Amino acid sequence: MSYKPGVCTFCGTGCAHLLKTDNGSVDGVFPVQNHPVSRGRLCVRGWNIHELLNTPERITTPLVKKDGALVPASYDEAIGVLVKGLADRKANAAEEIAVLASPRSSNEENYLLTRLARSVWGTNNITLDSDSGHRNSLDVLAAGTGMAGMTGSLEELRSCEYVLVAGIDITKQNPIIGSEIHYAVRSGATLVTVDSRKTQIARLSTSFLQARPGSNKIVYAAMAKILIEENLVDFDFLKKHNDGFEGFANSLGALRDEDISAKTGVSMDAIRAAARGLAAAKSAMVFFSSGISGLDADTISYIYNLFLIAGKVGRPGCGVNPIAGINNLQGGYDMGVAPDLLSGFRPITDAKAASAVSAAWGAPISAKPGRGVHELLESGASKLTALIVVDHDEGIVRHAERIKTIPFVAYIGAYKNPFMEYATVVLPIATYIEDDCTFTNTERRVQLSKKKADAPSGVLPGWKLLSAIAEKSGSKWSYASSAAVMDEIAKITPTYAGISHAKLEGTFGMQWPCDAKNPKGTARLSIEASKTFTFAPVSGSFEVPKPTGDFPSLLMIGKAQHFWHQNNIMRKTSIPLREYNTTLLLYPDGYVDITADEAKAAGVRDGWPVNVVSAKGSMRVQARVTDEVGPGAAYVPYFIQEMISEFLLENVDILKLGEDATIPVRIEKV
Amino acid sequence: MMENGKIVTIPAVATIDEIKDEIPNVRTYYLSFDDKAIDGAFTFRSGQFIMLTVFGEGECAISLPPSPEKDRFHITVRSVGKVTRALGGLSAGDKVGVRGPFGNGFPFDEIKGKNVVFVAGGIGLIPLRSSIVHVLQHRKDFGRVILLSGSRTPSDIMYKYNMKEWQENCEAFYTVDNPTPDWTGETGFVHTLIEKAKVPVENTVAFVCGPPVMFNTVNQELMKRGLSDEFIISTLERHMKCGVGKCQHCAVGRTLVCTDGPVYTYRQIKILGEQI
Amino acid sequence: MYLIKKSDVLRLAEELGKTHDLYGPFMEPATKQAMFERVGKAADIDLAAPIPALPPKHALLPHYEKILAYSYDKKTQKVDLAPIYDDRPKALFGVRPCDLTGILCLDRFFLGQEFLDEVYKYHRKNLFIVSQTCVAPFKQCFCVCCDGGPAASEGYDLNLTDLGDTYLVEAGSEKGKKLAEAMGLAAADAKHQAEKTRRIDKCITLFDSVATDNKAWISRVMNRVTTGFIDEAVWEYIGNQCFECGACSFVCPTCSCFNIVDLPRKNGGAHESDRVRTWDSCSYEGYTREAGGHNPRKPVEDRRNKRFFCKLSYSQSKKYLRPGCVGCGRCQWVCPGDIGLPNVVTYIRREIHS
Repeated sequence: MSYKPGVCTFCGTGCAHLLKTDNGSVDGVFPVQNHPVSRGRLCVRGWNIHELLNTPERITTPLVKKDGALVPASYDEAIGVLVKGLADRKANAAEEIAVLASPRSSNEENYLLTRLARSVWGTNNITLDSDSGHRNSLDVLAAGTGMAGMTGSLEELRSCEYVLVAGIDITKQNPIIGSEIHYAVRSGATLVTVDSRKTQIARLSTSFLQARPGSNKIVYAAMAKILIEENLVDFDFLKKHNDGFEGFANSLGALRDEDISAKTGVSMDAIRAAARGLAAAKSAMVFFSSGISGLDADTISYIYNLFLIAGKVGRPGCGVNPIAGINNLQGGYDMGVAPDLLSGFRPITDAKAASAVSAAWGAPISAKPGRGVHELLESGASKLTALIVVDHDEGIVRHAERIKTIPFVAYIGAYKNPFMEYATVVLPIATYIEDDCTFTNTERRVQLSKKKADAPSGVLPGWKLLSAIAEKSGSKWSYASSAAVMDEIAKITPTYAGISHAKLEGTFGMQWPCDAKNPKGTARLSIEASKTFTFAPVSGSFEVPKPTGDFPSLLMIGKAQHFWHQNNIMRKTSIPLREYNTTLLLYPDGYVDITADEAKAAGVRDGWPVNVVSAKGSMRVQARVTDEVGPGAAYVPYFIQEMISEFLLENVDILKLGEDATIPVRIEKV
Repeated sequence: MMENGKIVTIPAVATIDEIKDEIPNVRTYYLSFDDKAIDGAFTFRSGQFIMLTVFGEGECAISLPPSPEKDRFHITVRSVGKVTRALGGLSAGDKVGVRGPFGNGFPFDEIKGKNVVFVAGGIGLIPLRSSIVHVLQHRKDFGRVILLSGSRTPSDIMYKYNMKEWQENCEAFYTVDNPTPDWTGETGFVHTLIEKAKVPVENTVAFVCGPPVMFNTVNQELMKRGLSDEFIISTLERHMKCGVGKCQHCAVGRTLVCTDGPVYTYRQIKILGEQI
Repeated sequence: MYLIKKSDVLRLAEELGKTHDLYGPFMEPATKQAMFERVGKAADIDLAAPIPALPPKHALLPHYEKILAYSYDKKTQKVDLAPIYDDRPKALFGVRPCDLTGILCLDRFFLGQEFLDEVYKYHRKNLFIVSQTCVAPFKQCFCVCCDGGPAASEGYDLNLTDLGDTYLVEAGSEKGKKLAEAMGLAAADAKHQAEKTRRIDKCITLFDSVATDNKAWISRVMNRVTTGFIDEAVWEYIGNQCFECGACSFVCPTCSCFNIVDLPRKNGGAHESDRVRTWDSCSYEGYTREAGGHNPRKPVEDRRNKRFFCKLSYSQSKKYLRPGCVGCGRCQWVCPGDIGLPNVVTYIRREIHS
């Protein structure tokens, strides 16, 4: 009986798997039929996770930089270097020290990392290594509904009547959620996809609204406008939940009917049908991307408000669902990994919450929000001198030059990666199968993953390492196990109050809020149990990026399945890596998706080199001729590490706008 | 260990005796087996291939360019994938692993007395070299022997040092797509040589190897002249892992390239129903 | 033919467990999922467990297996090659007929072609198979459509049939017979044989009401698949729904495609490597891609097409001496795209009719 149950840790879906672990080697993986989300399925990544878990590329000993080279050291010595490096800066910690946490770390690890940062190192500069998309979603949903997480339940998806996929390549990013949507459609649900790219889910949709790049928001606003004009809003629902409705309705006045099709390229008939379908359905869910290529707050607000006026929030089969691309992105925010948050998504300025946390930690914490680490890295004026990075796998490459100038860099992680080279000190930790730990998936499902294998000789689990760092810094923590860490999380975090390893054991997880009122957790935001929902403030601005004569195409930037998160993880596998290389080898210089017409106009064929020229610069890639993009649009997968060129770095301010970011370009034959 | 004259499962260790640079990115590696018993017993047919292990990197399928008789054992490899790039980093004296020979080989017994036409595009000449040398070694067993070779540029011509010898012993024509100023030979794609060489179609068999586009164009040209697709012979290349018909990576239609091929007639290829 | 009391049937497993690594069906306690895996002791085996989620294929063709350990030191030019063959005696106890059929397909493929697969040969060398007749189908089953069950007719050492209070024990090999004799099992007679037949017939009649998930009239589509005269649009429709996860290949009792990679040895020395063989799937885009970048089977529909050619064409059936599908229904259950083999057969039939 060597197959032991656990949780797949690639994406935020949180599929259950059975890992075949014999003698420390992971020799296979198998899906779990009874898991309420994954129901016996895994994706290409999940089916090959043992290749990652078996990689020889582990960090097996602490390393300390001496004379410019990393050399093996004892934990004691390496922790000493870390503690001293930070103690030297403690007086000015809020300026000098920053912590880049990982959305892959377990809840227990991330929680203790915030404790270290805030109560031991004295800094609130702690950020999840992920861009702003998920935070935007949580801010909108927390303000509107009180729930800082996906409001719907994936278990209810198959019985949902209407699904709106809002610009997420979901069969690639979170394939099993994509599968649940496909099954809902197969059982009769209406699926409307709004996207600028014809993704697989777009092909599987009842209706695909291919909006011009940068105009997706207008489609959602137009749907809302149609519902209001045609008296299709849910009047019963709005009797109670109407705070902000008027302002929202008024803001739509700026959107003129005749502009909608012109700006989006989608026919009014198609948008009208989509809106009417939403109103007529008894239940509806919307899915959008969070994290890396997530939406901006304004677009999320329009989507949320659209679902409010349709009465599709807090009811059975309904949900406004931001989808986390990384396994514990949601859990990271739950644990308070942000410059301005405590666990449970409470502001650090909340005096009552802060004093409870401070009491549990036996140390004061600063009520002044810290600064985001990416912001500190980007700002030339920051006084940052020490950076602690956990389990890096993305994004940071952008800041490589800046990081090289930081005097003290510590890296904590299980796997080797290029980032290690920047570090002054490297501290290895165990992987998730080498100790008990919990992860929270995109639908707030907290799942326990039990220990299945021993860590390489002498390598500590994360919670033990962080405790040892605290102890050497003069703070004696007394956790006996990672379960004890969760007990403390439950004590000070209202949404996790009813969660413990003991209660999670033998279950497929519990969805927060889990407390005395909801001892079994909460699958879905419930209208009965909630206060009134309020509308999100919106900009009322419906500008779209305009191509110009010189730069007639709008370039979109996004990701694709196998080139996921710059591959630090994929690179340690064989089959997923081969799949990644398959596309890359066809286009060794990277690629830009363009239509056949565009290719013809530029005089190029598939695979030919082209220059993508913007006002700020140009990059040379190969043309990939496809019907996935519409006319006047182009697409570059930004997550191929080899493709992160100067060109994209120069346009980093645009990339921050997320999914709808576009750069006007022209495609030139080389 | 050899079974029925083949090294099937565990690679036999061989030493790289000598490395010769061919065209850019392509080298020839002269090999000898460390086990003298294998060195003596290892024989193969033109058109067969081996599975080559670069230790620490992996294994891949490599065609055999030497003639089965009276030729020094060697492989000619372009550095293109993980394994072949690693091979490119090895030096004389280093060790590699060899399994094989695998595959069916060219049907020499059936073509005695016929005119033989070799058409090669670029490094497609590598798998054909074995047959060319073999045919020239038995020159009197065949009718007209014609070699048509097309390359991108003059510096991409494979086995250029054999050019003179081949031109003397058979009707050899060379063309390049992009000539340099000093190039005096033909210019244009290789299929244009078919007309120039007045390739016969009666009692003739053609061996065609090269990239898919060239392959299709040449075959159309030959068939237009009246050569039946059953006398057009080629070798197919596929991604392979085992070489012995088990891993299935090289499945094409109902056949496996490693055991049913790699040599196919164009007629067979057409009914496989897959892209080339 | 012999008899063994129901309460004693695991004594057979216990006896086998003395000399073999014992595999059998059981309910995995945490996930309540039926698995077929190595068990700690005979008593862990639950013959009444539903059709296991995982076919016993992994006992002969593991998901991830080291097949060769080697070292090459460039300084000394010393090469050491040590093949890793696993010939541990293994007893598979309580194998469902569909899964036994799958093993027979693997046997014919790995041992019956031009070359023997050495690695498989060793796994198979000391294998003892105890199959069990299915006296009732499960929801997902369609073995009756493709001769994969509900009763095994060959390939077992012993076969068990639940007759109520007793199991009928049939020997299919000398070593099976030897074990039954050594255990001193009582002899069965023609009326027990007749009872077995009655129970198989009953099982077949139950398919209508119980096995409702899948039907696959494979014989209707085999000719079509073999000749390839299926409208491109059908494969495109199927291809659009393929998530390219590889699951259908991994859970299929007859799928045997594998990948081979050489990896530096985990916790090994600088010159040490392992040659690792892992399950692979023709649904992956990189499966056929050549080192030079050319991919003859790039579009997903071409790859789907290939898989069903392998399962359902006459030419592939020649290798297995039967169709490549045994009717276990697992591919339908693990498929994120809802294009398991039964649905594909339905779509091809729909095309034939139109």
